[in-house]
Amino acid sequence: MIAALKAILGAALTAWACYAAGSFLIGRLKLKLERAERFPLAFVLGAACLHLAVFVLLALHLAYWPVLVLLLLGAILSVRLNKPFLTEANGASESNRYSWRQILLWVALFGGFSVLYFFDALAPEGSPDGSSYHLAFVARYLRAHGFERITTNMYAALSQGIEMLFVPAFAIGKHSAAALLHFVFLMALALAIFAYGRRIGKPWAGVAAAFLVYASPVVGIDSSSAYIDVAVAAVVFSVFYWLEIWDETRADNALIPVGLLAGFSYAAKYPAAVALIYALGFVLWRSRSLKPALRIAALSAIMILPWMVKDWIVVGNPVAPFANQIFRNPNFHVITIQQWADYMSRYEIQNLWTLPLEVTVRGQKTQGLIGPVFLLAPLGLLSLRFATGRRLLAMGALLLATYLYNVGARFLIPELPFFALALVLALGNSPGLIAALAIFHAASSWPAELRDYATPGAWRLDRVLYKPALRKIPEDKYLRSINPGYSYARMVDAYVPKGERVFSVETIATAYTNRDILVEYECAFCNLMMDILNNGWVAAYQPRVLEQLKFPERTARRIRIEQNALGRPLEQWSVHELRFFDRGAELPRRPQWRLSAWPNPWDVQLAFDDSPATRWRTWERAAPGDYIQVDFGQAQAVDEVRIERSYDYNLQADVKIFDDSSGRWMAAGASRETTAGRPDANIRRYATRELALRGIHYVLITDNAPGAFDFRGDPQGWGMEKVVEEPGAHLYRIVP
Amino acid sequence: MPETYAPPVQRQPFENFRPYRSTRIVNMSDGDATVRIVRDVDAGLAGSWRWAGQHPTIRVPGGPVENLLYVIDFTLPEVTIKDTGPVTLSFYVNDRLLDRVRYSSPGVQHFEKRVPDGWTQEDQEATVGAEIDKMWTSPEDGKHLGFILTSIGLKQQ
Repeated sequence: MIAALKAILGAALTAWACYAAGSFLIGRLKLKLERAERFPLAFVLGAACLHLAVFVLLALHLAYWPVLVLLLLGAILSVRLNKPFLTEANGASESNRYSWRQILLWVALFGGFSVLYFFDALAPEGSPDGSSYHLAFVARYLRAHGFERITTNMYAALSQGIEMLFVPAFAIGKHSAAALLHFVFLMALALAIFAYGRRIGKPWAGVAAAFLVYASPVVGIDSSSAYIDVAVAAVVFSVFYWLEIWDETRADNALIPVGLLAGFSYAAKYPAAVALIYALGFVLWRSRSLKPALRIAALSAIMILPWMVKDWIVVGNPVAPFANQIFRNPNFHVITIQQWADYMSRYEIQNLWTLPLEVTVRGQKTQGLIGPVFLLAPLGLLSLRFATGRRLLAMGALLLATYLYNVGARFLIPELPFFALALVLALGNSPGLIAALAIFHAASSWPAELRDYATPGAWRLDRVLYKPALRKIPEDKYLRSINPGYSYARMVDAYVPKGERVFSVETIATAYTNRDILVEYECAFCNLMMDILNNGWVAAYQPRVLEQLKFPERTARRIRIEQNALGRPLEQWSVHELRFFDRGAELPRRPQWRLSAWPNPWDVQLAFDDSPATRWRTWERAAPGDYIQVDFGQAQAVDEVRIERSYDYNLQADVKIFDDSSGRWMAAGASRETTAGRPDANIRRYATRELALRGIHYVLITDNAPGAFDFRGDPQGWGMEKVVEEPGAHLYRIVP
Repeated sequence: MPETYAPPVQRQPFENFRPYRSTRIVNMSDGDATVRIVRDVDAGLAGSWRWAGQHPTIRVPGGPVENLLYVIDFTLPEVTIKDTGPVTLSFYVNDRLLDRVRYSSPGVQHFEKRVPDGWTQEDQEATVGAEIDKMWTSPEDGKHLGFILTSIGLKQQ
């Protein structure tokens, strides 16, 4: 119970600090807001400011518990310096009044879902992404009292604006505090939509659209988890809202929240940066002047640049983990990110025409569903007849364009407020119809009803979790029952010594272990570890092809093998070993040799280490001109090159020799002979030795992972010993 | 210009290290046992075993093909033998009959036999199975059951 109370305290203090900081800024800017707008807009704007303050504390390695609490209390006290920013009491207009019957209806609808969400957020946090990375970094930063140089996890390179807010909440109330704070963002979003309806003189539209968003199944589970999507939606909607206020009042100061929040959109989640594009376009269009746009751009930079600079310093790519073709770095492979992005753009959906049904009704392949009511979203186009409708749909369409890069249901959450408002506006002044729509949405989104039509396995809330929330079920027992990754994390903590890194073939609940977990797809180093292990047991990856390229003896200082074909998409070029011969004798590899390669120069030594378990790979689509090169450091007679490679990719290379007199690479005119070979019988042992040489002594293999069978069959033959097993996973130690 | 590197430390071969022995045996209690079932094995796990039907078959990954043994651990319950009398089990690798054995008494059984060369491929999955000639019908629920399967697979000698 204490844990639950601490979680509530952590979330409440952080939310209050956000609200206070926002109130302070709005007051200083002398911006007038109506009562209903006050909480949501101040809270989200304050969140943007607080995120920056936490960022600074982490950068300075001052993120100690008392410092964070002082930060929150300081922000809360700042509200005392604030002047009231309510508009003069103009009284509710006729159209903004509600009957008691309407009020009861909406209170009942919102109340029911609020209970469901609150208890879910308060329950121990075991959501997949929340426990595996959103909170894993928060916990890690708090342990280090600041940012750490993380180059082995692509998620650490994403902007973490919302996670910055989780930091103080987590410091006080641990994992559930972060989930509760995210739930506060949902309340703010719903209130903002509601307030927007009042502002445009259509309160019924506001309250109904707010409910359509609020009760959406994926919104519910996302907002009650330590995810960020609902917070992102609140930020993006706030950008839109402040733009509307600016357009109505033309108060220059209103551009300050616009700029800060547009920048915070990027800081919260990369795709949400389209809010900045909308803001710039909107003020350019409405003012016919560059000045307000420049102001917004400059203010947004305050929120964006810290994240870009951090990535530039840590991983050498300001927009990591993307655009590695442009910002070349050794931390992320081009092809891995491309494969990851390709997967996200489809998940398991074979036919994209089924996507609307999948994302609204079924929900298993899209990892959640937004609810069948959104099948009516196209009706929202009828709102184009209103200026408000056109703006809502413009912003919604801009956000929707980014959705096609990740078709998961939760990636539609930022769009939902805009489409919900457009849909309700399109239905016109028909409160009865809108109430019916809301009741249908409530009924179809309630867990008991969802069970009847959503595909089993769809990510959604299942029931009111009051027992886990109140810790009547012990936290450990509950988390083990809902997330195997939690059990694996605890197993790692129990059996792996502090300071040791663990290589895992699958994501686990890293937020619940103090050990550094390297997951096979999350970084270039991790990809390499996986490739080395796979070399141990996958015949197609092993050096089973020997190419002998013979040519008339030449004296050369620099020699290279160059690939001259464009590979198929995702086809790479790889070389296990590259050897040079003269008159049948191998040239010994001398320390003065200088090895280089393009692309992926960082791994070139893998082709010269005499290990059958390692290989240099392009880690991007093979292209003409890719090469591996050796500078012998002196003139060297050579007449044969041998390439040992695998047969998973069958690209061939030619030998080229650098001609000093012409300053050009010349073909050696080599003849090629290809033969099949078998790798060393101890190739598995070679593989684990390579991991150990790179500081990895523990390997976590889940039973369903490719190769799990091979490890399990004879760990000793791999040079490993089984440390422990949980149902579904084995932990091995590499024997020195 | 890309960075340049000196040749790394050359890896030395392993002396006196026992090479890997492939053990591709599916224990019914394994986390991935269910996905390896081809047919006639009950999905419900009871302790460390599952009920098998007439011709349980399991697939195992590809791997070394030399000196392979077919291995199966199973139990013929007293309650079934009492009703069916002696039974004959046929053992298969990739649907090829490896051997046939008659069992007349109940209890825990172990069978293993060398798999002839060429019956499996290194880079292809293999199926391993067993077939019982007489089924037992449960008087409680009318289910037709064969025997109790604990583990089955291939291993290198």
